[in-house]
Formats: sequence, C-alpha cells, structure tokens
Amino acid sequence: MTACIEIALKKELRDAEGLSLIKKAGSYFGVTIQEARCIHIVTIDSDLDEKALERAKDEIFTNPVTQVSGLKPLDIDFDWCIWVGFRPGVKDNPGATAMEAIQDHLGKTFDPDEGIYTSKRYCLKGETLVREDVEKLASELLSNSIIHQFRIFSKEGWDKTRGADVKPAKVILDRTPCFQIIGIDSDEALAKISDERNLALNKKDIPVIREYFLSNAVLESRKTKNLSKPTDVELEYISQARSDHCNHNTFRGIFRYKDATTGEEVIENSLFKTYIQEPTLRLKDKKDWVVSVLWDNAGIGRFDDHHNYVITGETHNSPSNMEAYGGAITGIVGVYRDPMGTGLGSKLFMGSFGFCVGDVNYNGPLKPPLHPRRLLDGVIEGVKDGGNKSGVPTTFGQTLFNPGYMGKSLVFVTALGIMPDQVKGKPSHEKRTNAGDLIIMSGGRVGKDGIHGVTASSESYSENTPAGHVQIGDPYTQKKMHDFLLICRDEGLIHYLTDNGGGGLSSSIGESARFSNGCVVDLDKVPLKYEGLDMWEIWVSESQERMTIAVKPEHLERFMALSAQHEVESTVIGEYTDSGKLHIQYKGETCAYVDMDLLDKGFPAWEFDAVWIFPEARGFTEPVISSPSDFNSLLLHMLSRPNICSKEWIIRQYDHEVQGGSVIKPLSGVKTNIPSDACVTRPVLSSKKGLAFSQSLLPWYSKIDAYHMMTCTIDEAVRRLLSVGGDFNHIGGVDNFCWPNIQFDSKKNPDGKFKAAQLVRACRALKEACEKYEIPLLSGKDSMYVDGHLEGAFGERIKVSALETVQFSATSVIKDVAACMTLDPKASGDFVYVLGKTANELGASEYYEIFDKIGLNVPQVDFEKFKVVYKALQIAIENRLLASCHAIARGGLGIHLSYMAMAGGLGMELDLSALPMDTTRGGLHNETLLFSESAGRFIVTLPPGNKPLFEKLFKGLPASCIGNVTDQHDHLKITGLDKKAVVDLSMNQLETAFQKTFGDMI
Amino acid sequence: MKKVNALILTGFGLNCDEETAHVFKISGAISHKVHINELVSGKVKLQDFQILAFGGGFSWGDDHGAGVIQALKMKNHIGKDLLSFVDEGKLIIGICNGFQALINIGLLPGFDKDYTKRNVSITYNDCGNFRNQWVHLTTNSKSPCIFTKGIDMADYPVRHGEGKVIANQAVIDRLLSENQVVFQYADDKGTLAKGAFPNNPNGSMADIAGICDPTGRIFGLMPHPEAYTHFTNHPDWSRKAELLKREGKSLENEMTIGVRLFKNAVDYIKAAGL
Repeated sequence: MTACIEIALKKELRDAEGLSLIKKAGSYFGVTIQEARCIHIVTIDSDLDEKALERAKDEIFTNPVTQVSGLKPLDIDFDWCIWVGFRPGVKDNPGATAMEAIQDHLGKTFDPDEGIYTSKRYCLKGETLVREDVEKLASELLSNSIIHQFRIFSKEGWDKTRGADVKPAKVILDRTPCFQIIGIDSDEALAKISDERNLALNKKDIPVIREYFLSNAVLESRKTKNLSKPTDVELEYISQARSDHCNHNTFRGIFRYKDATTGEEVIENSLFKTYIQEPTLRLKDKKDWVVSVLWDNAGIGRFDDHHNYVITGETHNSPSNMEAYGGAITGIVGVYRDPMGTGLGSKLFMGSFGFCVGDVNYNGPLKPPLHPRRLLDGVIEGVKDGGNKSGVPTTFGQTLFNPGYMGKSLVFVTALGIMPDQVKGKPSHEKRTNAGDLIIMSGGRVGKDGIHGVTASSESYSENTPAGHVQIGDPYTQKKMHDFLLICRDEGLIHYLTDNGGGGLSSSIGESARFSNGCVVDLDKVPLKYEGLDMWEIWVSESQERMTIAVKPEHLERFMALSAQHEVESTVIGEYTDSGKLHIQYKGETCAYVDMDLLDKGFPAWEFDAVWIFPEARGFTEPVISSPSDFNSLLLHMLSRPNICSKEWIIRQYDHEVQGGSVIKPLSGVKTNIPSDACVTRPVLSSKKGLAFSQSLLPWYSKIDAYHMMTCTIDEAVRRLLSVGGDFNHIGGVDNFCWPNIQFDSKKNPDGKFKAAQLVRACRALKEACEKYEIPLLSGKDSMYVDGHLEGAFGERIKVSALETVQFSATSVIKDVAACMTLDPKASGDFVYVLGKTANELGASEYYEIFDKIGLNVPQVDFEKFKVVYKALQIAIENRLLASCHAIARGGLGIHLSYMAMAGGLGMELDLSALPMDTTRGGLHNETLLFSESAGRFIVTLPPGNKPLFEKLFKGLPASCIGNVTDQHDHLKITGLDKKAVVDLSMNQLETAFQKTFGDMI
Repeated sequence: MKKVNALILTGFGLNCDEETAHVFKISGAISHKVHINELVSGKVKLQDFQILAFGGGFSWGDDHGAGVIQALKMKNHIGKDLLSFVDEGKLIIGICNGFQALINIGLLPGFDKDYTKRNVSITYNDCGNFRNQWVHLTTNSKSPCIFTKGIDMADYPVRHGEGKVIANQAVIDRLLSENQVVFQYADDKGTLAKGAFPNNPNGSMADIAGICDPTGRIFGLMPHPEAYTHFTNHPDWSRKAELLKREGKSLENEMTIGVRLFKNAVDYIKAAGL
C-alpha cells in the first residue's frame, strides 16, 4: 500500500524555503510570487497499517511546535502548485533515513520491494502568475530533468482528495542478469562495439585487446572456465582501466613539441615521468618529511613525531556541469574517500573548494546545460551539504568567473586527513593485499547510478553524453563508514583499503589485487539497491560511499561486529589470491577470467602533436592606454569586479571550524570579511603545531603563456603560505590540471596542437617551480576535456573551451601557531613595507581585462631572487617582527592595499614612489604600480620599534617602507610617482564597492 | 577524589565528538566517546557517567528535522536511563544538533520537571541558509545554569542552518521569567541583538541562544563552546595577541571562555561528589 504524509510549517511561521524561491524567481526570471509555501511529502510504499502510519506521521515526521501534517493532502491555498520528486533510481537520502527511523521507532522491517520516497510540492500564490512562468520555475529552478520529475497543477486542476498523487519512484528492471560474449573478429567489429556500448576504447588499444584474447595460451586458459571470446565484463574492465581518468594517458603520452619560431622539435616521452614523478622522487630523498607519494589514493607528509597528514585534490567537472548540486556533493564526498582510503586510513580534518564558472549575469544566446548562475547556486549548495554533513571543515576556497567556463565549469575539491604514523606498531602508510585475505565491500549499495562516469569525464560534453552518471552523494552514510573504519584501523583489522570511485569495483579490486596477484570475486554477493543489474554493471558501477577492504579471515568476526554496531553494511564479496588471474563469477559461473598483468601488455601510449607559437608571433602586443585621471573610481570599480569582490556569502555557508582546530579562518580582519591568504588548522588538538594550506588559480595568464601561468600560480600559493607563517623548508604541492582537449583534429579541434604545447610548457614550469622552491608533489590529478559545444541563437553549436587552468594547492607545517599571521594592520603608527619589486607586468591582468585587453607582459617568476626574500620573511615572522603580512595577488598592489585597509579598519597613508621597482620590462606609471601583477611581492606592517631589526634582515633585498598605518582617519590615501594624491577613499567607500556585487546574497 | 567521567555521544552523523572529548579532558574529566548503539545495546551504561554530552553534527543527516531521529532513538531505547540520570543530579549538555535533540526529547525546557514534553522548537534560520559566524553572547546572571557560572559574556561560533529558537509567546515569557534563558545573542558590548542580523544570526525569539532546565543541570545551546578551547580559535586572536605583546603580555596562558564552560561542569561534579 502506498501512503503519503504531507508536512508543512504552520501558517504563521516563516517558510525559509518558500521565501528563497520568491527571491530567486524575482531576481532570476522577473517572476513575481506573492506567497510560496513548501510541503514535504513522504511516500511510504509498505504494508504499514493506518495506525502505524499515523504514529509515523505524528511521532517521527511532524514537529508539534512548528508543523502541521496529514495522511491526506494538506489544504493550503494556491494559484499554482509545483510537485518535484526524484526520478527512479536517484539517491534519495531523506528517504533512506526515514526508513531507518521507522525501523527503529515502529520495529518495522522493510522488505526489498518496499521503500520510502521523499518529494516536495510548492504552493504558489501570485496574481500575475501564468503557466509559462510556473513551468520555467519548475524546470529551471526547482528541478533538473536529469534527476527530477515535476508536475504542475493549476488551482482549477487540483483534486483536493487526490492531491499530487505521488507514486513511489521505484526502480523496476524486471530482467534476469546476464553477461554477453563479444565478437572480436576484426578491429572494426570491436571498434563498433566500443561505440555502441560507450566503452570509449582507444583505437590503438583495439588490436592489443584482440591479440590478447586471440592468443592460444589465453584461449587455453579461458577454456578451463568455459570462456573463449571476451565477455562484456572483461571489456568494461579494460575500458575503465584504460580510460584517461584512471590511466592518465595524456600525461603518460608522447608529445612531439615543436617551436614554430625556431622549428626546433623535442620529443616528450611522458610528461608525468619527466615533470612530476622524477622531481618528486628526488625531493622525497632530500626532504625527510615526505612519507609516501605517487602510488596511493593521496600523498602523505609528516606532521609531527606521531602523526602524518594526507592530501589529495580532485575535480568533478562533467557531472557538476549537468547537475550542479549532485555533481558537487558527489565530488566533495568522493574526494573525502581518498584520504580515508590512503595507507590504512586517515581521519579527515579539512577540505577546500574551487569553483570556476561563466558569467553569472550572462544573457547572450549560448545555451549551456545549466546557466552559470544556477550552476553556481548548485555547486555551492552541493559542497555545503557534502562538507558540512561530513563533519569536515571547509577552510578555504575560491570562486572565479570567466566566459570560457561556460563550456564546462570546474569544481575543484581538496581533502586532507591526519593519521597516527603507526598502527599496531607498523607504519600506517604501508598496505598490501595477500592471498587468502577476504575482499569486503563496505558502505553504500550498488545501483545503475554512476555507470560510465569515468569514460564520460574523459570526453567533451555533447548532446549525447549519457546523463546516467550523475549521482547524489550521501555524506551521512559515508560519515558512519568513516567513523567505523577508523576504529577498525586502530584495532589492526585492516590490511588494505581503497575507495570505490571512478571505475567502481573494477578499479578498486583490479588495483588492490595486483599486490596479491589475483582475486576471485562473487558478483552475486554484492548488495544491490534493486535487482536486475547485469554483471558488468555491478562490476563498473560507481555508486558512491563504498570502500573495498582486505581483511584476514581471523578478523572477520570482529570487523563485522563493529560494522553492525555502526550500522554500516559490509559484505564479503570475494578473496584475494595469488593465481595471477582476475577471476569474476556470478552464482558460480565465470564471467571474467583475465591475467592480472593484462594491462601491462604493451598498450600503446597516446600521441600528440604540440606546436608552440610565442605570444609575439601570435600578434600579442601591449595595448595603448594612457594613464587614467580618476584613480578613485577606477579602484572602486576594480574592487567590485566579480573576481575581486567579496564572496563572503559562499564561505559562511561552509562550516569552517568543526573539529575545533581553526587558527586562521578563511576570512580575516576586524569584521572577519576579507579573504585570508591561507588557512591554518590544528589537526591534533593537544599540539601547538598547525597545518597551513593555500591554493591559487591564475588561469588568465594562460592567454599569453601557460608556462608563466604555472610558475605564477605556484609562486602565489607559496607566498600565501608564507604570509600566514608557513615554513619554506616544508612545502607540499598538489597540482590539479584542467585543460581543453589537446588532440589535434583539423575540423573538431584545429588549435589542439597549440593547447598541447601549452600543456607541455605548463609541465615544464611545474618542474622548474617545484625544483627551485623544493616542493614535492604529494598528489595531483588531471581533467583533460574542458570544452563544451553550446547551442547558439540559430541552432548552431559553438565550441567553448576553458582557459588552460591549474589549481595549485600548497601545505606547510607550522611549529607553533602562536606565530601565525593575518593580513590586517593592527596598530596606528605601524610602518607599511612592500617586499619584492613591481615591474611593468600588466599582461592578462585584471586591469587590462576592464578594457578587454590581454597585453603581452605576463608576470614572470625569478625563483632565485624571490627565494632570498621569502627566507628573510620567514625569519621575520618566526621572530615576531611583523604585525601583519599579505601576499599581493590578482589585481595588484592597489587591490591588496585596499584589502588590508578594510581588514585593519584603520587608515593607511602610502607613497607609490617609494616602492621597490624593476624597470627592465618598461616604464612604470601610477597605474602600473597599482595594478601590475608582478609575482614575488608582499605587503607587511610592523611596529616602529622593529624597524632596525627588520631593515637589517632585509638589507640588500627589495623591501621599502611605503608609508604607515594611522587612526587619524579611516581613509586609504595613496600618493603617486609625482607625490600627488592619486587615491583617497574612505573605508566606507571601499567596503561598499567590495560588498555590493554579491551584497544581497547570504 | 572521584574521577569525573564524561560521555560524549558518537555515531549516526554526529561530528563534534573529537573536540568535545578534548575540552572535557582539558577541563579535568575523563572523556569517553561512546557510540549511540553501545548505549542502546546496553554494552555501555549511562549510570557509569556523571556528564552526558549531546554534541554537534548532523544526526541522521538532519533529514526530518534537526535532531529529531536522534531524539526518538534515545527516547525509545534509553529514555528511562536519561530520566534517572537527571534525577541523580548529573549534568547534560546539548550543543547545536545536541540542543536540537534535547528539545525534541523534551529534556528542555523541562517545565515543571516534565522532561518528555516538546514545547520549544528550533527551526530554519531567518537568513535562509547555513551560517558559520562568531557571535557575542550575554549571560543571564540569575540563571541557575551550572555551566555558565561566573561567565558574563562569551564569544563562540555558530554553525547551523536551523538555529532559530521558537515557541509560543507564553513559553518564551516563561523561559525568560524563570531565568531558563541562559545565553542571548548580543553585540560586542553585551547589548541584546533584538533580533537584528547578523548579531542574532538566525532570528531566534528573544535572541535566545541557549536555555537550561529549572535545575540548571540540563543545558542546551546553539553556539559551539567546544570550538573555543585554544586562544587561536577566536577570530580576533592575532590582533589581540599583537596588541598585548606591545604591553609585554600574552594571550597564551589564559583559559578560554570555551574551556571555562566545561570546567564549570567538571568542578560542579567534583564538588557534588557524584
């Protein structure tokens, strides 16, 4: 029997959800709603009788103080009503917790064909509302056709007794699971099957796959299991393992890099090996704090004598682009499984976000899958629910706008964990599987969701992209699993663990079985969300919140007892062996039987042509712009630009202090509303040590040269760390590349060779920066197809590619957090110094962007010269000479002085003519000094008494006193090269400009 | 002297257990993180403890009202133990999600010593969103609350989407008149926020941030005192520290107002000899 409980807030209470709808309808679509009330519907498909349903309604689902409810539709008046529910098979988190509650409260056990489903209906009142408006709200605000269904009721069309007539969103597949034998008579035949089944097999892999399955030895061995030609399970396994997402074919590919100017050609055999692996391994030998890199789910660094920290970063671009909330929540919850699955498991202690989206006010003809505004709303909310409900503070994050991200937006998520360095007397970062270990899957169940996610993120977005890979993460289930696994770890019950992410069991078991050299898996044991999945679907499904764990048989009982106590589902689904075979069965019948070393069998590297053309040769020059005469208005305009202005409303939605270790928060200053350079957290509460974390994104510089984009991004991340008190001798890095397609195709990707050259150059810069600053890369990922084909005004599709983007994350360990710094000037009379020289480097700057210019003089990093300043700065901070410190970043000195003035709430009087300057790249004017984005610079303030020591420390280095902090007024006053006033703005003016762009967002 | 044992609930999406255990420990108690199911199964007995902490988090994802399912589960399985715990003169604190659970169990406000009645609710913030922000709190010096003895004002962070305390006006009036309102949102001088955002971050009636039962031994609050156990937790610490340094002073050895709240509880149990 199906019953619906409707629950709503009492009439006199404020309906926050309804109010939010009214606000968005007005500001996004100009639709006026007078009143909106939200009704929550719990649809129970079970054998519960009327009495039990009444009890569930009253005792579980209704708050007697605030809510009204009924088993019949609530009689709430409306002009229009919109009902929104999930499509069948979409993860319904509240539905699952409702079942837990009823189970516990009423003692009801649910049969597999029973279930609870949640949905909502919105009762709208508005004199001017017409069906067209309501449909727009339903389809473009309240639902996404990928995961939701909606129905609209007019006042006249509403049946008060039937109501929305909600049916259970139950998945019924009604089929007997099977596997198929795939014909591989010719390369063409296999290629055709690859296309039909969306396997995305690389053309050059096909002969290798055929050769393997057609070899006599393989045929003989397969005969013993009644197999000959490959099964779909096997081909799906190969497809997943060979995908760019899992195998990083681009970074392991061969690049023919040609310099168009000199004609010189260089062959790059593997960007990964040359520019990431080798330098990192060299640095690992040199830096004893580097514990584990380049093989596990995340990298590990030493935190203190008894603890290590774990870090990795991911992107979740493709899914977020289609279903922003689902994609982002799955992204953050997913990346949190990486530190959980690193070594023997770590406890999460912080996360961060990076959003790159198109213009939120875009009103041109292009039709992205989701409008940037809606997309941003969705990803913000996804990371909010995913992070907050995981109990992990989101302590840092950046949001960036550029039209290129309308093709595909970027959602970066980064996760850090902490673990004891020993578990039961053994190093916690080591793990392996052994023959005889049981394979256990813990956490969520397997459904059709997420199938072919990996291969979809390895392709550009098009109208044919399967939507089935969009999921909704479930932080609640994962949090239970997180707590459970840490207890198992400490009891020594875990010998290997890894997460089920891209590629599902296929990847997690495929990779973990390489240690023992074999496995037998019984797919029929895998718990399913619903019956009817084929074997290959179970094997590659990316259903979330699952870990794969190797447990010794003698530990099974204890492991399962803890699992039951934590109400986490765990199932033995097979055994690790040393047979050399990956052996998969379903009810005893073999459906896959391949050699463990199949993937090492000479699959060819991908190949790319890369042609580099210098910006001069591409026609780039400096623009001709005379000095502005109104710097006050200019600076206020700069402060209000989306990439510079306050994004406080996003940061405050994220719990950034849970776990109690917050030292430097994402926002600083007297009003706690100015973005901090970096954050600092104490992951071990009994210790005064802190972990500093920063991130940088400077994709604009790629317009000129991705080499300098990379060096400047890393330099900024390092300066951010140092600004809060980071240790230059301990900097760990994480590189997250997001690149447009680099495979040349004369029609589909005519500038592919240039983008490939940009990638090579960025990798070269990565290596140089890491070697010069001695940054081992603890982790890194790449997402290679950041392009979209968007429909335009006339039915045409236009390719929109993102800027070549790298998010660089940096970590450092701080000995004593009491020495940490913030950017706010703290006392009147303090001196203001600028460290590092300002040059004519406005290329691709925020300043030029105002005039739609790019220019040529992109900022460049002089590692050797900068390093000396950085080391001196670290000494100054450690010796507590400074009162504040801030890295000059996007927007230049003018913007960052404004940030400091607002943060301190004190006046500042400054003189540009006193700045350390570098004239080698051309003349310097007031606007160059204020808005040049030269790297390597800081602003610091210090008490007058510390001046002699400070100046001694910086003797011979570019460091000049440019003015002072004052409480005589609250203005930012700057004089120019001719000593005449160029800027004189009150705190109020600065703040108004900085806040107004997103000012009404909370 | 007898040891003070504090039980900190864990499991089912609760998430502030680590820092809550830490603060009880530095306040002189022995902290025990106990999974809710260990109490349900009887493996761990509530009677072995003197302080019970319902901590922050998202129990059962807060999917059907914050703290609602947790409250039901506790009531169903250890409801009687909870009432005996209260009868024995022991202490209960509920923070954020834990406050919501205490309200939904009925342990708060506990009018007329009826610890099962729900007559207060904590609902969605007026601002319509989850919000992490430090707030200034002013303490009702007439309140019997054990935890806030000697505390006039406190700064703690709030981190919630549902923190607006509401009830019918008679209930609010009674909470005020019987001094069960312990903490109210205020400005930095201690003047009541009078509902104004952001000093009152959620629109709580009468600026209520925390209430206690008539005995003062059950205390619930939305802000997180356990998030202020180290001087560097406060958002203004670096400015204060720099200015103090110039006077030759330091923040480093002061007990934070967060720790003080828990120490009050531990000291009370010690003095009561429970």
